[in-house]
Amino acid sequence: MEEKLKAQKPNPNPNPKTNTAKKKKKKSEYEFCKVCNLNHDQGQRHKYFPSHKSSLSNFLSRFQTKLSDVRFFLKNPSPLRPELASKNRFWCVFCDSDIDEIGSSFACYNAINHLASADHLKNLKHFLWKYGGGMDRVDAFRIWEADVAKWEKKCISLKSDAVSSSQGAIGPEIGPLNDIHNENNYGNIDNFENSSIQSVKSSLSNGVMPLQYYTNEYQVSHSGLYEATNVGMFAHDFGSFLPAETCSDTNLWNLKDIRVNRNSQHSFPYNSYSSADGSFSNGRMFQVHEDEGIVKGESSSHGLQNLARISTLAPEEARGNVHTGAPPPWLEATEASQIDAPLKPAAGSLVPLNKSGKSKKLNPKRVGAAWAEKRKIELEMEKRGEIVKNDCDANWLPNFGRVWQSGSRKESRKEFEMEKQKLLKLGSQSEIPIEIQPYVSKRMRTEAGE
Amino acid sequence: MSSYLLTVLTKKQEVDTIIRDTIDKVPVLRFGRASDPVCLQLDNVLSKSAREVSKFASVALVDIDSNEIQVYVKYFDITFIPSTVFFFNAHHMKMDFGTADHTKWVGAFHKKQDFVDVVEVYVAPQKLNDFKASALLL
Repeated sequence: MEEKLKAQKPNPNPNPKTNTAKKKKKKSEYEFCKVCNLNHDQGQRHKYFPSHKSSLSNFLSRFQTKLSDVRFFLKNPSPLRPELASKNRFWCVFCDSDIDEIGSSFACYNAINHLASADHLKNLKHFLWKYGGGMDRVDAFRIWEADVAKWEKKCISLKSDAVSSSQGAIGPEIGPLNDIHNENNYGNIDNFENSSIQSVKSSLSNGVMPLQYYTNEYQVSHSGLYEATNVGMFAHDFGSFLPAETCSDTNLWNLKDIRVNRNSQHSFPYNSYSSADGSFSNGRMFQVHEDEGIVKGESSSHGLQNLARISTLAPEEARGNVHTGAPPPWLEATEASQIDAPLKPAAGSLVPLNKSGKSKKLNPKRVGAAWAEKRKIELEMEKRGEIVKNDCDANWLPNFGRVWQSGSRKESRKEFEMEKQKLLKLGSQSEIPIEIQPYVSKRMRTEAGE
Repeated sequence: MSSYLLTVLTKKQEVDTIIRDTIDKVPVLRFGRASDPVCLQLDNVLSKSAREVSKFASVALVDIDSNEIQVYVKYFDITFIPSTVFFFNAHHMKMDFGTADHTKWVGAFHKKQDFVDVVEVYVAPQKLNDFKASALLL
């Protein structure tokens, strides 16, 4: 029986064994596993092997990250410049095809349409069947048609708004693609988005480090919220950031004069820095009120808003902060009575939970419920003038260790307790404390002895 | 400017107290200084909405120029002001605002309603027994 390399569908019925007497191993023809990137002759069993499973999860998660970028653009359609289109390629692993964006007017236009297509779905299902990804994950790798419809509507409205609003001077880029004011933006936007973390790091002049991870929503979200670190970049390093300069004049944020109508239904929290990210925005406009005392930018901003920056007084200390998971300052033992970390639910066990005054509406699973109950009791007691009981004394941790292979832990604890009692009775000098002496080697001792 | 409506905290102990003793309400702490224009804008919004959210939130301003507060400035890694930090039952509440920093909100709010919306995100899932609203919370 010859074995040939096959790069196609596996033979569902592996050829029956001929000369081998092994019953368990059925020799099947070689197939190529796209996920593990190797040829194997294990047939249908291959997809259950742990190595394959781990490669599959890597494979899928890699693709997922790319998909999430596409999904971002699904939620926030943004126009795509023709010269950038060639960079926006998307390889669909299920269909084994490259999807480019040439000729598409919006970012990921073709990709979104592809991900919603029936062909893609078919290929996706086949892939999952073949490589054992779990059929319930189909939805993670496709886009629903309803979403596509919504996205298309948004695109259309964007386009129409771009046409209707002739003032390209607004911070958020809503202009059509041939808007010369915003022309320079796009080129740098994509570069910025692609190399954002590196560029932010390099351009930050101060000691502030940007967060190491990067939300998928880039720095623009439809609400115009802005990443704090990018604020610093704008404020202090205009030289490295062309769009800010080229468009700053045109995107002057003289908010008292300009009123832009908002596209979306919601009123999003407004970050005073959003004008800076306006050049990145995906077309959502921001409602500006004339009566709001919007503050114009200070210092080096060319009309862009500027958030005052706190200089870090001391260099980064080892104390840690919220990002590194240090203990919060308000729970530090100022009273030396609270030991628990914020997330310790065991504290609730110390508190009698059957309070009659417990509110019926309170959700028992809310954050910090245990803490809240405990603190309420403490506050009431304090009000009444009682001393808050400190129920965490030095002995709350078991501080005895015994050989406990024999007998139960209780016995060892009893032993410990008895010994402690004895110690207390006899005073602290009952035992001669063992003096710790530096190690003296035998040679030294013999030398000393001589 | 609006500090006659909102308490201004300058001591660490005051901040500790407000975080620890506010039970089942969201303490909203604005870290900034009263002379900064963007802080003023935010304070304006906060003071206007403080009464509306008073059932489930308590708003306070923290002066970052105070020495004792520097512990908090370092802990929360506050580099831009105003920065607003939210808590609930002595837990620091993080939320995905759409920016990379989930631990605090940097900048001002545009409208009162925006601020109220944000606070409601923190509070709603705690009051109700379903956690769908807490999808934004981290």
